[in-house]
Amino acid sequence: MNAPFFKYGLFGDNVSLIIAFVIGIGFGFFLERAGFGNGKKLAMQFYFRDMSVLKVMFTAIVTAMLGVYYLSVIGFIDLSLVYLVPTNILPQAIGGLILGFGFVIGGYCPGTSCVSAATGKKDGIVYVIGVFLGILVFDEFFPLVKGLYNATPMGQLTIAQWSNIPYGLLVFAVVLMAIGGFIAAEWAEKKNAGKEGSVIPERMDK
Amino acid sequence: MKNLSLNKKLAGIALLLGFFAIFLGSPYKGSFYNINSKELALITGNAVDHVKVDELADWIIQGKSDYRIIDLRTEKEFAEYHIPGAENIPMQTLDKADLMKNEKIILYSEGGIHSAQGWMILKAKDFKGVYILFGGLEEWNEKILFPKIPENATPEQLAAFEKIKEVSKFFGGTPQTGSTADVKDKPKVQAPKLEAPTTTPGTTSEPKKKKEGC
Amino acid sequence: MSELTQTAEIKKAETDKAKPYWNPYLSGIGLGLVLLLAFIVMGRGLGASGAFGSVIASGLNAVAPQHVNSNEYLKENFEGGVNPLKDWLVFEVIGVIAGGFISGALAGRIKITTFKGPNISNGKRLVFALLGGAIMGFGAKLARGCTSGQALTGGALLNLGSWVFMLCVFAGAYALAYFMRRQWT
Repeated sequence: MNAPFFKYGLFGDNVSLIIAFVIGIGFGFFLERAGFGNGKKLAMQFYFRDMSVLKVMFTAIVTAMLGVYYLSVIGFIDLSLVYLVPTNILPQAIGGLILGFGFVIGGYCPGTSCVSAATGKKDGIVYVIGVFLGILVFDEFFPLVKGLYNATPMGQLTIAQWSNIPYGLLVFAVVLMAIGGFIAAEWAEKKNAGKEGSVIPERMDK
Repeated sequence: MKNLSLNKKLAGIALLLGFFAIFLGSPYKGSFYNINSKELALITGNAVDHVKVDELADWIIQGKSDYRIIDLRTEKEFAEYHIPGAENIPMQTLDKADLMKNEKIILYSEGGIHSAQGWMILKAKDFKGVYILFGGLEEWNEKILFPKIPENATPEQLAAFEKIKEVSKFFGGTPQTGSTADVKDKPKVQAPKLEAPTTTPGTTSEPKKKKEGC
Repeated sequence: MSELTQTAEIKKAETDKAKPYWNPYLSGIGLGLVLLLAFIVMGRGLGASGAFGSVIASGLNAVAPQHVNSNEYLKENFEGGVNPLKDWLVFEVIGVIAGGFISGALAGRIKITTFKGPNISNGKRLVFALLGGAIMGFGAKLARGCTSGQALTGGALLNLGSWVFMLCVFAGAYALAYFMRRQWT
């Protein structure tokens, strides 16, 4: 078998749009299942009271990472055909910080705000409008930020290429890190049990 | 406690899979490949792997940027002259070059041999969109930089020449008009001087293709 | 996760008449499998903010085409004569909206309401949502992606820039969390 199918020409652009819709449904479904249509639940991550963001995100990363790793090791998928967003360290770091601010101020990120809006949450709908405004501002002021946007280009680069650490070892390290993070997350949630917005409203052993 | 054990089981599976990954190496493949000789024979037979110099010139003038031009010659030769926007990847380093398999890649060398060989290497590595600049830099010089008007040109040929003159000037070439100049002082054609900023790395190595990211 | 959480979620569910959210690890695996499917079928990851960008670009193009033409960043959207709305991410995000609605409907969570902490008015919360959204939109553009396109997708592919991005998102959010506590707690 040859994957990625699209890159091997198994279907054309129009079919890919239908697939986009179907994959989007899956994406939205699991985001909503996880409770990510709820801005307060998301924000509680940053008060150590509901660590779902960390748990869901890293479980998803570990699942997809292991999946894509094993599928390419057995020769099913050609990983070099899977698109990597090029690395520009400086704008990505600064953009990440800005995004983090927006996350804790607004309670969502673009994907989760769509889910929130779809389930009728007013803050989600307003947030979506906000994202549009922010992008409009970026587009209009692009000449001003162009220098930063294009700074420190490093091309398509994996951590393995950059650090010369074997890819497989990094995979293991990410799994270890994720599980360590989960244990810490469970601990933090228990510690903050009973506080406003905590995933554990009150201690059962009281 | 049932739920707890499920989470632990999942963590166990992830740990196990992660652990074995240490011994299974890189998912980006090495340097041994199988080639589909039939497919390659068909492609070469049908000559769909070529890009003509005037096509490429058109693309550059139009500012198209969905492709990368790769110069396979040595660094020294590259420094002397190269097609605007080209990147230098000497033949020896082609195997390890930082190229993506889904990019449109146009190879050229002095003539056509190295680019054809490079094409083969990349095709064997399963690159999808590799093309050869037909005739290489020799053809580029002859047709684009220093085009000549044929003797006893027909009106159609004249019209075509007028067009190519514009193209040639765009690339800093000198169209060879009049057969006299051609015969008398046949100068060693000087390649146009390179303006320094024509190829700043980073602008050329990043093709502006359709965004695939978030 | 333990029975503590479970009972708590059920309790909460009884008051909301909505089903509890799933075990986060199971939702995470589901999400990871969807991402893996995108890698296998399309050779690309998921995204969200890119679709917003396409909508803005084509909106602007409809209102002020000359303006779009004078902005090199916006112009890029229209290169090759394609309609930016006929884009993979746009269709994917339409799917996200549909998928979110389906899941919400099945769990009885479709409800017009506003999520916020107990100590803030609805109006103020909405102002913060608008502000946060705008900041996020700007940041996502600068970083070439958002939580889905960079952190999730790039995270799974061990993309260097994505990991730096992800760490910075958490750093930024935690740094500002203290000042935002009145909104949430």
